[in-house]
Amino acid sequence: MLLAATDLSKRFGGVAAVRRLDFHLDPGEILAIIGPNGAGKTTVLNLLSGVFPADEGRIVLDGTDITRLPAEDRCHLGLGRAFQVVQPFPEMTVRDNLMVGALFGARQRSLAEARKRTEEVLALTGLSGRAAMPARDLTLAGEKRVEMARAIATSPRVLLLDEVMAGLLPQEADEMLAVVRAVRETGVAVLFIEHVMRVVRDLADRVVVMDFGEKIAEGSYRDVTGHPKVIEAYLGTEETGGA
Amino acid sequence: MRWAGPAALVVALLVPLVPAGGYQQYVVQVATFVLINAGVALAWDIQARTGQLSLAPAAFFGLGAYAYTIAALRGVPLPVAFLLGPLVAGAVSLGLGVVTLRLQGLYFAIATLAFAEVVKVIFKELPLDLTGGAVGLTAPPLLGGHQTGLYYLGLCVLLLVVAASLAVRHSRLHYAFTAIRQGELTARVLGVRVVRTKLLAFVLSASLTGLVGAYATSRLFFVIPEDTFGIGLSVTALATAIFGGVYTTAGPVLGAIILRSLEEGLRMVLREGYLAVYGVILMLVILYLPGGLVSLWNRRARDAAGGD
Amino acid sequence: MMDLFLQTLANALIQSGTYALASSGLALAVGVLHIVNFAHGEFLMVGAFVAYWLSVLAGIDPIVSLVPAGAVMFAASGVIYQASIRRVLLAPELNALLLTFGIGITLQNLAVLVFGATPRVVHTAYQLTAVTLGPVSVGVAPLITLIVSVALLAGMYAVLYRTGVGKSIRAVAQNRTGAHLVGLDVDRIYLLTFGIASALAAIAGAMVLVRIGASPHMGFGFVLKAFAIIVMAGLGNLTGVLWASLVLATAEAFVRTYVPGGGGAAEAVFFLLIFFTLVWRSWRTA
Ligand SMILES: Nc1ncnc2c1ncn2[C@@H]1O[C@H](COP(=O)(O)OP(=O)(O)OP(=O)(O)O)[C@@H](O)[C@H]1O
Ligand SMILES: [Mg+2]
Repeated sequence: MLLAATDLSKRFGGVAAVRRLDFHLDPGEILAIIGPNGAGKTTVLNLLSGVFPADEGRIVLDGTDITRLPAEDRCHLGLGRAFQVVQPFPEMTVRDNLMVGALFGARQRSLAEARKRTEEVLALTGLSGRAAMPARDLTLAGEKRVEMARAIATSPRVLLLDEVMAGLLPQEADEMLAVVRAVRETGVAVLFIEHVMRVVRDLADRVVVMDFGEKIAEGSYRDVTGHPKVIEAYLGTEETGGA
Repeated sequence: MRWAGPAALVVALLVPLVPAGGYQQYVVQVATFVLINAGVALAWDIQARTGQLSLAPAAFFGLGAYAYTIAALRGVPLPVAFLLGPLVAGAVSLGLGVVTLRLQGLYFAIATLAFAEVVKVIFKELPLDLTGGAVGLTAPPLLGGHQTGLYYLGLCVLLLVVAASLAVRHSRLHYAFTAIRQGELTARVLGVRVVRTKLLAFVLSASLTGLVGAYATSRLFFVIPEDTFGIGLSVTALATAIFGGVYTTAGPVLGAIILRSLEEGLRMVLREGYLAVYGVILMLVILYLPGGLVSLWNRRARDAAGGD
Repeated sequence: MMDLFLQTLANALIQSGTYALASSGLALAVGVLHIVNFAHGEFLMVGAFVAYWLSVLAGIDPIVSLVPAGAVMFAASGVIYQASIRRVLLAPELNALLLTFGIGITLQNLAVLVFGATPRVVHTAYQLTAVTLGPVSVGVAPLITLIVSVALLAGMYAVLYRTGVGKSIRAVAQNRTGAHLVGLDVDRIYLLTFGIASALAAIAGAMVLVRIGASPHMGFGFVLKAFAIIVMAGLGNLTGVLWASLVLATAEAFVRTYVPGGGGAAEAVFFLLIFFTLVWRSWRTA
């Protein structure tokens, strides 16, 4: 097990955003977390990446207990994260956005090394042509790409992606899919949140389904989509996916 | 703009040699004040690059000034007293930084302002034989008070601040500072050690301000709480940096050259109230030219290069 | 012993009236427009000078002049709002801070240019009389300023909580977008609120003129203290301003009375309080 969460809980006032959640991620695996809006998926990533502390439970990354570590330390230990609500540094160029990840991420790099890493990731994510653009001038699709590329630039062992394909055209989503696959080929494990079911089907080795903060099902794409609880959870919500 | 820096340096070196007749002394004096203002403004800017808007430059300037004066009056060799300026300012800023580092934006600004006022009052109220109270102290001059020598010493001080600014700009720190300013949480998630970096910026900026404070005192020959710790100094620092162009090395220096010369010109006409210029400029720049003067240049360069 | 204590308390109460008046305007602007108006102290100074010149040139009593002083600043702040403030409302908060800082410095130094830096005082009959209540003696002038402050603050609360306009202002303060959606003209409410806030500052200025005097540099000390008060109260919390004014004025008065050479230290008390309140809050919530 590369990453394991046990008994993870987080409350916001009266809302139990995440409740006694257990899950793990194996080396080289791609795990999807799905669930209706407000199920607590983003909160799980916030707990993992250290945006705020968990109320209860434990998070272990490759044998190290990271439950109480601040966000920057978790990044240094190999957690790279892309936010659902994109957070590019608006006045920095696309290239400089990636430089931040490359310089301070899981590997501390010199300027020269970071520049090299940045160019690699720019090429991998298809951003080379826009590298000199200020991030604020990007389209949403471009911003999502920078968000993911910056996390990749940190050289993570686990990549946490939060709906990086939401709002993209099918072709753009396909390009992002190819990038995630390519990253996995380099031995990085991926945990991603996604509403687009086609992406989940094509990409995930395993799927965790959340509803009201709890895990309601876990297994292969086929297993979970046939699960009665999952069908119930999604019933009445809009048909998810572009399959 | 590659030539601009070296050209400015050459001009600065030549200032005392300009044949200005009876105005020779005056020209050197104004140029010295420009150096002082540029130093404080640029030191302020270095910290501003992390998004922490400090209203306490006056406190660190004053600490540097008093450290030099008090030590020098007690027989400490002048060069050592001079170095105490940045050391004392840096040490105090480390303490202040540690307690204020969780404050954001506005709250940080107000806390630093309050701090500066407390320090001023403390220096007024300390025992008379130590700080001279409200009337202050007379400071022993460096280099025997030799005007041209002191001008070149001031140039060295400013060059040191410029070097620090350029070092930050062309190192990993530049990325850390900018990332923190534009999104602190995101920066943390990308591995930037925010607390450490902010503290570094704070202490670096305060030490440099303290250095300029010690220098200014060795040139002005006195310290007075109301002036040396005065809010006017902080206002000038940030107005100068904002006018010239924040987050750059050239901006604050350019701003100081123009604003301080303007101020001296106005001072000949008006005995008081010339600070109004700083107020008006602050207003106009915030409203119409948020990037300051250097952004005019950068915009032209960008248009010419077609992007970047 | 007891007498001195009571006298100090009375002084504190009077001072807190002025502080509350000066800070309420600032708190109002913060709460509704979400800007910290650094020029607030200079607005106070403008009010003091309007009252001063009306007294010198037209022989109008400064207490009466609080009406024209408030009116002048209300109108002037409208111009300032339209020409500058409204353009930075959506910019990063520090832009607004720097802008108002610039406005304040400009006003202050213009005042120096026009009026000179020397403090001015007015002379009225009631400044020399005092009322005695047991061991406590209070000047009539300070007493009037306290009564005026209390009346004005009560009036402000009545407007905010009992009238339609007040309701709109509170709605905008709570949720700008929501208020806009239900059809409120947010921009006009901002203009109005900024006007009221500025007028309160000017009126406080006229009060200070009666008690102390007017000088171009008087504003800065007040704005710093007003900051201390609204920060202690919690930014935008109007009711908090009242007790924070009381606490700070009391702390200041007692330091002045009981600490040897406490005049200067009293100033520091304010800034120490503001500093530690901010820091303490930041560490507690983190
Ligand atoms: N910072 C926060 N403060 C208060 N409540 C929060 C916070 N973050 C999340 N919540 C609440 O926790 C619950 C779970 O939110 P979360 O964002 O994790 O859902 P999600 O599964 O990511 O939803 P979506 O699919 O819409 O992104 C929601 O009820 C949300 O309102
Ligand atoms: Mg989410």
